[in-house]
Amino acid sequence: MGVALLLAVTAAALSLAVGTRPVPLSAVLDALVHGGSSPDALVVRSLRVPRTAIGLTAGAALGLSGAALQAVTRNPLADPGILGLSQGAAAGVVFAIALGWANGFDGYVWYAFTGAVLAACVVYAIASRGRGGASPVKLALAGTALSAMTAGATTVVLTSSSATLDQFRFWQVGALSGRDAATVGRMLPFLAAGALLVLACARGLDALALGDDTARALGHRVTLVRGCAALGATVLTAAAVAATGPIAFVGLAVPHLARRLVNGGHRWTLPLSALLGAALLLVADVAGRVVRAPAEVPAGVMTALVGVPVLVVLLRRKGMAS
Amino acid sequence: MTTAPTTSTGPTTSRTPYPHSAGLSVLRHRRLSLLLHRRAAVVVTVLLLLLAGVMLLAACVGQTYVPPGEVWRVLRGHGGPYDLVVGELRVPRIVLGALVGAALGLSGALVQTVTRNPLASPDVIGVGHGAAAATVLALAAGTVASPGALPAVAVTGGLAAAALVSVLAWRHGMQPSRFVLTGVGIGVALSAVVQLYLTDSELAAAEQVKLWLTGSLNGRGWEQAGPLARVLLLSLPALVWASRALRPLGLDADTAAALGVRVQRTQLGLTVLGVVLAAVATGAAGPIGFVALTGPQLARRLTRTPHLPLAASALTGALIVVGADLVARTLVPPLEIPVGALTSLVGGPYLLWLLGRSGRR
Repeated sequence: MGVALLLAVTAAALSLAVGTRPVPLSAVLDALVHGGSSPDALVVRSLRVPRTAIGLTAGAALGLSGAALQAVTRNPLADPGILGLSQGAAAGVVFAIALGWANGFDGYVWYAFTGAVLAACVVYAIASRGRGGASPVKLALAGTALSAMTAGATTVVLTSSSATLDQFRFWQVGALSGRDAATVGRMLPFLAAGALLVLACARGLDALALGDDTARALGHRVTLVRGCAALGATVLTAAAVAATGPIAFVGLAVPHLARRLVNGGHRWTLPLSALLGAALLLVADVAGRVVRAPAEVPAGVMTALVGVPVLVVLLRRKGMAS
Repeated sequence: MTTAPTTSTGPTTSRTPYPHSAGLSVLRHRRLSLLLHRRAAVVVTVLLLLLAGVMLLAACVGQTYVPPGEVWRVLRGHGGPYDLVVGELRVPRIVLGALVGAALGLSGALVQTVTRNPLASPDVIGVGHGAAAATVLALAAGTVASPGALPAVAVTGGLAAAALVSVLAWRHGMQPSRFVLTGVGIGVALSAVVQLYLTDSELAAAEQVKLWLTGSLNGRGWEQAGPLARVLLLSLPALVWASRALRPLGLDADTAAALGVRVQRTQLGLTVLGVVLAAVATGAAGPIGFVALTGPQLARRLTRTPHLPLAASALTGALIVVGADLVARTLVPPLEIPVGALTSLVGGPYLLWLLGRSGRR
């Protein structure tokens, strides 16, 4: 846990210092504490601080919600994508652009958020119909189905309107640059509420891992735990996706990593996932600024390119995929 | 939904709604296995007739209506005023659609059997993503002089990605969940490459790629259908072999091994076959979503076999693509919706409907 915290702090420091205009760490500290109006201080305060803040919060939210979703659906593949959240957010953004309601990243936030939450509600409503309630498999299936459907709908819009595609492609790639500092502020209450909900369920999630019947026998209210954790994860993801665009992989891979590092149940893996998520996203963002300088590779692309080899190595270890 | 005549002669169990009771009733009465084959044969015949009907309809309908008699004249090579619109535009496109759908349906049946996952499609093991990434990389590098070379690039990319996934996932044999998980991971990385291209490129280029990525039959025809038909013909012997292997593999690995199946070798063979079919289909029309996923499941429900039936899967796949393309180009007349967008739009609700029906999945 301490190591993860150190990692996240280092990543944040790197994110403040590295870029097309490298700023020595001492100058970063100076700008943060004393302000000032030197070019270095301006770059740090007006560009890098908001960017780093978005990276930290979005990364933590994605890691945390990924861990919660994997526990709720009892599916190691679960990430925000699998419950249809990312596609729901994307659909919200696409329709907002196409109808001329939103312009620029700041305008997308609420539509993305609404889309993601709506998608989660639909998925949950469908999955909980019929016998057995919202079982893990039904949740995953309903999410996949809804994802495909909304993806089809957004594609119809995108192929018929090039102006929409022109704006959407920059949102969809998932990046931390060009986002407003106010965005973080607006998302913060949602992130906090989501995190609280998820963390409060930690013990219940441990019991869920043993199966619904065992969890019930241990005195946990299965539906309540699952509902709370899913709601928290939904709010977290929706806020993160709204702020950065869909960033794949953080929610999928980070919980696997966290579980490998500690064996202490969800009271440990949940916060650890949050820290690792924040660190991973920031490191990816920093790397994206460096590899093709002066051009940037968006963080969403970097997380995928960096994270996949890690996942493959993990999978090849024994007992990982089963 | 079931247009097939009821062939039930046995007890009334066959009157229950089909999804989950179908397999059970077969397992309970072993004597019913003959009946099962008869039903499959009837379903295949009905599907063939349906496919022929939809293909004819697709040749008639479009911007201009062509009476069936005139279509028949063109088909017999008598020429006439509709030679261009039917003979050179619609027929090649329809045939290509049917071939792509058949290849995807077959591929889906094979991959779903190997991964033992009804949600697995060739995309899950990287074919679509690989094809897309290779196309995009070739475009970005400017190495493709003519658009005609793109299908070849796509096929190569799809095969390479699937090979990569298989090699990475192979460790003491093929474990289905590791296979799927690796495929999803590689897919994420490859689609990141595509995303990067979409933001880097000019808007016009991005639009073109986006259209291809959705899967479209627009402006395609014999040029793409020819190679696909040859691959399908060449794979016929392998498909016959596969149809015998699918049944025991549908059971769990230990049971299959006990029945005398060389599980690993068979899994590998089926995977290679499925990947090749999907890659060639993707090269021809772009990744058309949901056909490989829903075609086999639909076919299994129609035939009520416990395993995924190959011939019926191919036919349902073809029916889906030809039907979807017909709707896609006639729904909002001047606009051509890419067929892939439509199959996803329709495939999603289908899956949801399935979920709603089967209470315990």
